[in-house]
Amino acid sequence: MTSNKLKETASKMALALALVMVVTACSGKSNSPAASPSASPSPTSSNEGNEGKPEAGALPIVADKLTLDTWVVSDGNFRGQNYNEKNSFVKMEGLTNININWIQGSGADGVEAFNLLMAGGQIPDLVAYSNMVTEGPKYGQQGAFVELTPYIEQHAPNFKKILDNNPELRKLLTTADGEIYQFPQLNLHEYNLVQMYPQIRQDWLEKLKLEEPKTIDDWYTVLKAIKEGDPNGNGIADEIPYVAVNLQHIIRTFGPAFNTDWEFYVDNGKVKFAPYEAEYKELLQWLNKLYSEGLLDQNYLVDTDFKFLTEKVTTDRAGAWAGWSGSYMRSFTDLMSDHPTFKLVGTEPPVGPKGEQRFGFHAWPLGTVGVAISAKSKHIEEAVKWLDFQYSEEGIMLNNFGEEGVSYEMVDGYPKFTDAVFNNPEGLNSTESLLSYTIGGGMWSTVADERYLEQYDMEEAIEAKQKVGKYINFDKAFPPITLTTQQNDKVASLLADIRTYRDEYANGFVMGNRSFDEYDRFVQQLKQMKIEEIIAVYQEAYDNYLGK
Amino acid sequence: MNANAAKSNNKVPDRLKKGVRRATFRGVIKNRSLYIMLIPVVLYFIVFHYKPMYGAIIAFKDFKPFLGIGDSPWVGFKHFQQFFESYFFVRILRNTIVISLYQLIFGFPAAIILALLLNELKNQIFKRFVQSISYLPHFISLVVVCGMLIDFLQPDGIINRSLLAIGVIGEPINFMILPEWFRIIFVGSGIWQSVGWSSIIFLAALSGINPSLYEAAAVDGAGRWRQMLSITLPGIMPTIIILLIINIGNFMVVGFDKIILLYNSATYETADVIGSFVFRRGITEANYSFTAAVGLFNSVINFTLLVLVNQLAKKKAESSLW
Repeated sequence: MTSNKLKETASKMALALALVMVVTACSGKSNSPAASPSASPSPTSSNEGNEGKPEAGALPIVADKLTLDTWVVSDGNFRGQNYNEKNSFVKMEGLTNININWIQGSGADGVEAFNLLMAGGQIPDLVAYSNMVTEGPKYGQQGAFVELTPYIEQHAPNFKKILDNNPELRKLLTTADGEIYQFPQLNLHEYNLVQMYPQIRQDWLEKLKLEEPKTIDDWYTVLKAIKEGDPNGNGIADEIPYVAVNLQHIIRTFGPAFNTDWEFYVDNGKVKFAPYEAEYKELLQWLNKLYSEGLLDQNYLVDTDFKFLTEKVTTDRAGAWAGWSGSYMRSFTDLMSDHPTFKLVGTEPPVGPKGEQRFGFHAWPLGTVGVAISAKSKHIEEAVKWLDFQYSEEGIMLNNFGEEGVSYEMVDGYPKFTDAVFNNPEGLNSTESLLSYTIGGGMWSTVADERYLEQYDMEEAIEAKQKVGKYINFDKAFPPITLTTQQNDKVASLLADIRTYRDEYANGFVMGNRSFDEYDRFVQQLKQMKIEEIIAVYQEAYDNYLGK
Repeated sequence: MNANAAKSNNKVPDRLKKGVRRATFRGVIKNRSLYIMLIPVVLYFIVFHYKPMYGAIIAFKDFKPFLGIGDSPWVGFKHFQQFFESYFFVRILRNTIVISLYQLIFGFPAAIILALLLNELKNQIFKRFVQSISYLPHFISLVVVCGMLIDFLQPDGIINRSLLAIGVIGEPINFMILPEWFRIIFVGSGIWQSVGWSSIIFLAALSGINPSLYEAAAVDGAGRWRQMLSITLPGIMPTIIILLIINIGNFMVVGFDKIILLYNSATYETADVIGSFVFRRGITEANYSFTAAVGLFNSVINFTLLVLVNQLAKKKAESSLW
């Protein structure tokens, strides 16, 4: 009797299994029509330059379908559920035969989610993170991520070619102990280096009969006029001349004019910590003047969420800010399309009292986003190959523009986005619609294509980026290099204390909670908190980087 | 009875011991359904409260997530030393104690006073109305409460506008960035949110007082004030003592979630407590060992306080947790 029952269960199970297989086969098939038409031309494009090694860069990467678990923080503008809904990844799966099982972390920037993931110790095959540039090497040195150097030599021809052509990039990416731990996002074109630049209400300037502000004094005059001149014409002085969501954005915009910066910067080869230098006081005094006269958002420390800033702009109260081309300038212009005059202009970085003019809010060719491979992964080689595909010509096109014929068309060799992106039939804005076709070249381990932003940016943004781009000075900015484990152990905790202390005092000085009489004590305390030792460690790391 | 006898006498006859054991066993069998109901609770404490204690040893190690707890190197009291030498040590300790003290001094009696006031009300409908209103805020999510607070307390928020309108202040006060306001906002809103809910337990204790006591007192000519002091308060004193002990046991645990929702770097000076410091350093900056040391230090203080207060209560008030 029992054996009969057993047989029955077994046959039932077999039936269930068969059903499952049919279902998976179906879902597998449903992917293939999208993928198959263009699957044929791919090997030619990505096989260039490695005739000697047939297996490196060849597609598909694996004969039998392989699944890699990949952790990623969901982009807030993505309207779908799973990244596999993006055409670019559907197509990639068809080409590489590697399926990605996306594990989506939550949180605005994912810092906490990432830290918890790493502390848990159960790390999926691939981890994508917005600050992999520092976290990758840190955890890599602890053994969490694979040391990639040998794999890049053997299995990543596309990525290797980029590094060979850009020795500076290799220098940035390689840690002090000579290792590479992540596949980074790359900005190889100057256009992609500009991040948040000063933006101001052009229509208000015209109304107040003012020129675009050039110097720090101009900025003061303009902001004062916005405060007092009632440019929004509602009869109430409710204008907030300069809005921001934190002090960092303010200082990175105005700091360079005073020959200072947010944290570490380089002055003639000497690493300096901005708050420890005399110029920082001048900057804070100037900001305090703005704040006390109501020219700086009185609530910048409380309204730290971007939605507050958006609200201030869209209720016709905000005059100027530092912002991105897309999420600020473009989206504000879209939101204010009903406004009769709303118009924004990007300005040059302000000129300081001593004539200093530098644009400090820029990226490095080595982006901060990156993907690392878990040291415990059973498919390191395949993962490397899959990530290398992201840097192939085809991978770059997929990541930046999506699938040809769907989200873009080639017009005279130029990938033009279709109406699906810019006039989305479902009413999504361009940022949202683009993300349903691709992950975006600026947010993934690939090369950001400038032609993506060129189309995405408004004319005003293109102009502004050209204006500010000239003032980037890589010799003055501290590069995104990483410390060795020993260096990190030495400074991490000290620096955490200093940052808390700095935040508190810098904000206090700006808001007038603290008098500048206390400033000497502030500097003295920094010294007691061993800032000089920390600077020495950063100097060591910087010298080592230069010497590579 | 038997158990007491067994404890007090060193030379316990075997017969008696056996008797005790048998009695215990019989008691378990008799009340088995109660014990079965107890199992999930015990499991909960083992899984979520006792097992994680093992993790506290990372306070004495240089915990690297990928090495795991076992393989991370021992460093002794390095992290404790670092914490005690830290610039922030005195400050976060002071803030934690001060905020807790405020909560204890202003928050704890508030619930008792509300309960006593409600108890004196003769109109039952009005009493229930007030009671419901007072405990409704308890059901509002903390995030929402903090969002409301920030909104109301803005320079152009409702509170500033009202104060300006009635002429109490000449200039709007930016409450959220002024350190001197933080504790008041924090403790005040805490009382507003919890006073009604906390008073329920006292109301329950009040209903347990024998009405004949009041009648007797009235006959003896005691007024309502006298009745409250001589009957009501002594009647709920055991409840007050127990709750006070429990509150003091949590003395060093300031709800850091609310702190994090309300503070910013301009108010760290009065707002940063051990809990928020641990959160920042541990979760945001991933210094696990250091924060485990800080957390352990906090727990040790809490435990010591709990034992001390319990001893005191046993001696002075003859009612205690154990």
